[in-house]
Amino acid sequence: MDHKWSMVVDLDRCTGCEACVVACRAENNVPTAGEDEAARGRVIHWIRVERYWEGEFPNPRVRFRPVLCQQCDAAPCEPVCPTYASYHTPEGLNAQIYNRCIGTRYCGNACPYTVRYFNFFNPVWDKPLHLQLNPDVSIRQVGIMEKCTFCVQRIKAAEIQAKAEKRDLIEGEFTTACAQACPPKALVFGDLNDPQSEVSRLNRSNRATKLLEEVGTRPSVTYLERGTWRGEKT
Amino acid sequence: MDRRDFIKISAIAGTTAALDGCGQPEHQLIRFVPEEDLVPGVAAWKPGVCAHCSAGCGLLVRVMPGEAEVVRGNKVGLIQMGLAKKLEGNPGHPVNRGKLCPRGQAGVQSLYHPDRIRGPLKRSGARGSGSFEEIGWDEALGTLVSHLTTLRKGDGASSLAFLIGPMRSQRRALIERFLRAFGAPPPVTSELFDDAVLRRANALSFGHTQLPTFDLGRVNYLVSFGSDFLGTWNSPASQAIGYGEMRQGHSGRRAKLVQIEPRMSLTGASADEWIPCRLGYEGVLALGIARELLAKFPEAKTLAAGRLLAGWSDGLPDYAPASIERLTGVPAMTVARLASEIAENVPALSLISGAPLAGTNGLFNALSVNALNALVGALTPTGEPDVLQFTPNAPLAPDFAAATAESPGCFSAVEALVREILLDQPHAPQVLLLYGTNPVFAMPPQSQVRAALEKVPFIASFDGILDDSSALADLILPDHSPLESWVDQIPESGTTVETVSLAPPAVYPLHDTRAMPGVLLEVAHRLGGEVADALPWKTFDEMLKAAYAPLMKAGGSIAATSEDDFWEKMQSQGGWWGQADPEAAQPAVGPRRRAKRGKAVSTPAPHAPLAFQPPEFDGSETDFPFHLLPFATQAFGDGTLAHLPWMQELPDPLTTAMWGSWVEINPRTAEARGIRQGDLIELTSPQGSLRAPALLTPGIAPDVIAMPVGQGHENYGRYASHRGANPISILSPKKEAETGALAWAATRVRIARVGEGKLVLFAGGMSRFPEEKGLR
Repeated sequence: MDHKWSMVVDLDRCTGCEACVVACRAENNVPTAGEDEAARGRVIHWIRVERYWEGEFPNPRVRFRPVLCQQCDAAPCEPVCPTYASYHTPEGLNAQIYNRCIGTRYCGNACPYTVRYFNFFNPVWDKPLHLQLNPDVSIRQVGIMEKCTFCVQRIKAAEIQAKAEKRDLIEGEFTTACAQACPPKALVFGDLNDPQSEVSRLNRSNRATKLLEEVGTRPSVTYLERGTWRGEKT
Repeated sequence: MDRRDFIKISAIAGTTAALDGCGQPEHQLIRFVPEEDLVPGVAAWKPGVCAHCSAGCGLLVRVMPGEAEVVRGNKVGLIQMGLAKKLEGNPGHPVNRGKLCPRGQAGVQSLYHPDRIRGPLKRSGARGSGSFEEIGWDEALGTLVSHLTTLRKGDGASSLAFLIGPMRSQRRALIERFLRAFGAPPPVTSELFDDAVLRRANALSFGHTQLPTFDLGRVNYLVSFGSDFLGTWNSPASQAIGYGEMRQGHSGRRAKLVQIEPRMSLTGASADEWIPCRLGYEGVLALGIARELLAKFPEAKTLAAGRLLAGWSDGLPDYAPASIERLTGVPAMTVARLASEIAENVPALSLISGAPLAGTNGLFNALSVNALNALVGALTPTGEPDVLQFTPNAPLAPDFAAATAESPGCFSAVEALVREILLDQPHAPQVLLLYGTNPVFAMPPQSQVRAALEKVPFIASFDGILDDSSALADLILPDHSPLESWVDQIPESGTTVETVSLAPPAVYPLHDTRAMPGVLLEVAHRLGGEVADALPWKTFDEMLKAAYAPLMKAGGSIAATSEDDFWEKMQSQGGWWGQADPEAAQPAVGPRRRAKRGKAVSTPAPHAPLAFQPPEFDGSETDFPFHLLPFATQAFGDGTLAHLPWMQELPDPLTTAMWGSWVEINPRTAEARGIRQGDLIELTSPQGSLRAPALLTPGIAPDVIAMPVGQGHENYGRYASHRGANPISILSPKKEAETGALAWAATRVRIARVGEGKLVLFAGGMSRFPEEKGLR
């Protein structure tokens, strides 16, 4: 059976704690930039928690929104790449082939979600911090773009295991690093082609929305709107 | 490989001095290949216990083989060994149930930190100069033992002091036991954001000297008085799991969260209603709500938790809505509305922690919220605040139950110790041991911790990374990282079943370090006599096994055939808990069971009724117009994780600030003083001043200035040293009047623009919240 990988982000459960941000860093060998490069806006986070302030004291409001690659079906990053480094996999992921990438950054310009990050410098891990690096994920060097992969290494590992055991993937047998860590279970990952899966169930919620749906990217990430108490306007 | 082999091999690792005969000392391939069942490319998951706060979450450590440069017997070499790659929550653990907060996940960076102390050091320059020279373990242990022997000979056994960080584990029991046998006073705990006030209040109101556990999944209405329970307080992973259930765990029912605080915390950002209240008046607001409810339910006037407060039995006549509005700044109508919403939405719950307890009247605020909980609990069908519970203690023998002993009001105890030293009182410490705490950084300057430490003739530190306090030590006996050690932790809260978190080392040690408990046992054996007799175990894991053996009879999560079987299962499970199925222990799921001994309400201790006293602040309102509110951050917790680069580069959730300090100011306040975003601000309190860049945010009252805790270290590794400023360095040493806890929210400041500052913010995202259009 073909899979359609999808994520649901429940904004009503999300507390903005950023457990997902650190989980992603740990899983995907995302380097730290250091203070000076951070000040130049060169920090890489494959998943980030955006926050939006509204109103003024004494009635300020904050809304959080974890934003990662939306793994669009009609991804603006793909057709602009002159080297086919941005590539659409048969399972619907927007993959980035690092050794094809020549760093034009066209894809980064095209992405309306600004979730593609450029490596402005070679990553450095002060020894022995490098011992933490995940051997399942390649390290990206200066001059190329990188982005969220939906933890493709975890998907592949699970698929290979299932194939070896001559069975289908089981819902919930693996998940992405961010969803795994999320304490309030705001992030849910799964197969949209399986109507019984948790993501399929949540996608049918009347709170379901897509980010910037009007630009026509057909994202694989669904956001569930934050609820209100007794339907009161906030 | 079974556990026993693992232990054997660990023992061999300690004796690879035999390799000295192999020739070239530097960078040779040490012929020591651990017989781990590790297949290249295949991950093993080993249990662990998170040591980044006191919550005691269970870990799974992803271990994969790799080549590491390690130190064995004074030699450096490359070996193939299991390396910790990633930390995830242990799905079977009743506290965090497979989840893990950002700080816990950074535990791997504590292991691999490049500035870890790699072997024993002795001071070679002047005190505090940071000059140390490497020595061997024999010399290091010999030095400590000779100092201790000298103390004992000269009838000075009571002149040994041990300063520790918060811990509820057998490490603490071991330290207590060692000190008792030696003839020294018990250890003194030093912690900035300690919860002594709430523990005391819970003892008075509910008969439990403990932090509470909340059944958030069942709550319909939640009022949080300054409590950042989703971010940093108490058991954040467990509480965030409950919060998810409270929001979307039940179809057709979504609880309301009301947050009461003058500066929006991470938790406040998720609230349905955010109410700023004047600092130190939170208890008044709680009693204002209680007054409305008492008028409707007069039978609650007899509640024991209520009678701790003056005027309760008479229906709280002094807390009429008009006076509440005058004192707290919260409109009278809001108070009445909150009261009726609570009454209509039971089970309802109130939480209090953080700044409301860190004023001079903190205990009053805590007792008021406890009384409100008792009152609201009386409205529920069971007649008890059963969404507020206390984790029962695991049944341990009295000797080992010292692990969960309550620390005497930390700040006062630290002050008493400082006084003894500075005033040369009889039995003033001649030898001071430091472990897991950094009081030079985390105590206000007027408490003179630095001066006291400088005066103590001999200091030994067990800390694995040099910090502001251990930089003053004469001898450093560096501890293993928690992932390299036997670790146990007895969670104080976060679950309704009795729980012990425990794990063997997940990886071999990287450096020539030794676990603190092993060192203490070795020191005891070398001292001989009654100290050696009191600590009969050769290794710490022997002690752990003895401590937790009685749990076998208690059943719970482990069915074992023998003591050894129980011990192995406890290691592979990552601990023991009083219930086989952790999901059943999850407060949010299924019908409620009564916790076996976790009954919330019992007979309170007698105490004269407490009346409201206005909070006192250091500094006059005219000279120092603003309240200073130091706060724990999502990245550094109470400030102790500032040395980790992942945490330095974690954008603050509300401001996106990274890699430095900042000062949160209301935009109107800033405008009135000509301060713009990023300007360098000087904060001056009666105790001193500091400089940090301004960050303008609407989520703060115009008379409050907030600043994160964790930066401003002189010594804390390459990522944190000399970065930012430390708000504790301008705090007044005011104390909570009843408990003696540090009133860290009782300092006033003034602000002035002094130039251009540097603010590092995380860029990215859209300029405003994108409009949401439903899919259908």
